[in-house]
Amino acid sequence: MATKEELLEKLKNGVVEYEEDPVSEAAQQALDEGYDPLEMIMDGLAAGMEVVGDLYDRNEYFVPEILMCADAMYVGLNILRPHVPKRQEGGLNAQVVIGSVQGDVHDIGKNLVKMMFDVAGWEVYDLGRDVPLEKFVEEQMRTDSEVVAMSAMMTTTMLGMKKVIQMIKEKNPNVAIMLGGAPVTQDVAKLFGADGYAESAGNAVSEGIKMISRLRQMQK
Amino acid sequence: MPELSARERVERVFRREPVDTMPFFSGMGMVLRPAIKELGYKFPQIHRDPVKLARAAILSSKMFGFDSVVVPFDMCCESQAIGNTISLYEDSEDTLYPTIPEKMWKSMDEVEIPADIADHWPISLIYEAIKIVKKEAPEYPIGAWQLGPFTMAGQVLELDILLKGIFKQTAKVEATLDKLADMIIAIGQKLQAAGADYITLREMGTGTDLISPRTWKNIIQPRIRKILEAWKSPKILHICGATNLLIEMMNDCGADAISVDIKNNLAESREKLGKNTLLFGNFDVFALPCKEETTVEQAVEGIKTNIDGGVDAVWPGCDLWPDIKEANMKAIVETARTYGKKPSPAVGRL
Repeated sequence: MATKEELLEKLKNGVVEYEEDPVSEAAQQALDEGYDPLEMIMDGLAAGMEVVGDLYDRNEYFVPEILMCADAMYVGLNILRPHVPKRQEGGLNAQVVIGSVQGDVHDIGKNLVKMMFDVAGWEVYDLGRDVPLEKFVEEQMRTDSEVVAMSAMMTTTMLGMKKVIQMIKEKNPNVAIMLGGAPVTQDVAKLFGADGYAESAGNAVSEGIKMISRLRQMQK
Repeated sequence: MPELSARERVERVFRREPVDTMPFFSGMGMVLRPAIKELGYKFPQIHRDPVKLARAAILSSKMFGFDSVVVPFDMCCESQAIGNTISLYEDSEDTLYPTIPEKMWKSMDEVEIPADIADHWPISLIYEAIKIVKKEAPEYPIGAWQLGPFTMAGQVLELDILLKGIFKQTAKVEATLDKLADMIIAIGQKLQAAGADYITLREMGTGTDLISPRTWKNIIQPRIRKILEAWKSPKILHICGATNLLIEMMNDCGADAISVDIKNNLAESREKLGKNTLLFGNFDVFALPCKEETTVEQAVEGIKTNIDGGVDAVWPGCDLWPDIKEANMKAIVETARTYGKKPSPAVGRL
């Protein structure tokens, strides 16, 4: 029988060291021994990703490491998430529409941001990549999602985001828009009318982790 | 003071000989909407027709006074030649470059490149386009480019396979990059044989916002060196994103000039490189020529800041985005001419 703290530590370290087997073992053991799966996700897996974000900010980890940490995190998440009671999941019952805009087939940053929403227990509507602009609007309307997150890797596709924001804000000004991708700067995000931005795949993780950290604080 | 031709100006810059004023040129795409419109073309049509490709490139340079003509514009020729299907977005009125929606190779084990790939269509149409430019606009130096092996790998495989493979399957990643490096060498040599006056190796996806300096040194640099060694001068190495931690290694690959984008701190780079290295780029291709709210005066100030930062040419930090504001674009080139009369760190003035 392991203590809660031991299992949280094992989950956290497994994510940071991108070791999938210890994460899998700890997640299963946590369930078998009756610990709260949401606590294991937020204070184990998400806490691990928080460390990963710090390592990225300090130029110790780069995107390859983050991708492997993400794989380890998903191993734990896939075991734990089905056991989180619906009423408890994420605590926010929030929904997000996410995708890479038309003309852009890059999706690493998008997938890392998606992971952050998955961890936080959001309902994620992933439209994939090369998504026609109107599709973001239709999906937001269909799902009544609170957040729309768009990614563009190239300057040439970035301007599509502006059109989507205009279309969505016309119909529903309360939707929060997140932008990400190499050409997107704070200035561009502000100019396009977005509510948040991340400039790179790694930065998206870092920003997402800060968001999860805030959620973790809110839940305590 | 003699007025140099565009060709003379660019050739002299590469030899680090004095010029009359700073050139405005690029090693990446410089096709602009006003030229496409005047020619009566649609954006999706220009990528796979050598005549349209050449004429759109020539007229873009002529209309705005650039010092070179660059072909091609899109990054999918090699991947298409290998066998992938591309999206041209023929029904879209927006500026959308071709993409590869689905890559046929699902793992590094499948990567097999035909020995004669450099002769395959549509790569071959770039050689034709270069010959057309040479014939129809001999006054311009012609720039051509190839993606670097890591960036090219992302055009034939899902990038996360490569990124994760750096740690888990290092030998496979290196073997894949070696195959692509050989292809890039062969194509680059044919671009030069067709008449390209200078060539840019765009290893765009290897900035330190993606991979570590150590990975760059161990995995990327050896292939870049090999490619540049196989090409004739002048040759330029370009990397997008965060490059300050790499800039000295970039300068140790055999390139005649280094090109960076807006995320590079120019002053820091110049200090590390010294005054003798040709340094290009760092000009914001969205904010200055395209952004609706940017005034002509702001565009001019932006270019002055770029020149003061220590570049040796006004050289876009990425492909010029086709939907420019004409007045801003003209003012940017004019500023290179007027404000660029003073010597740059590596190039004196006549």
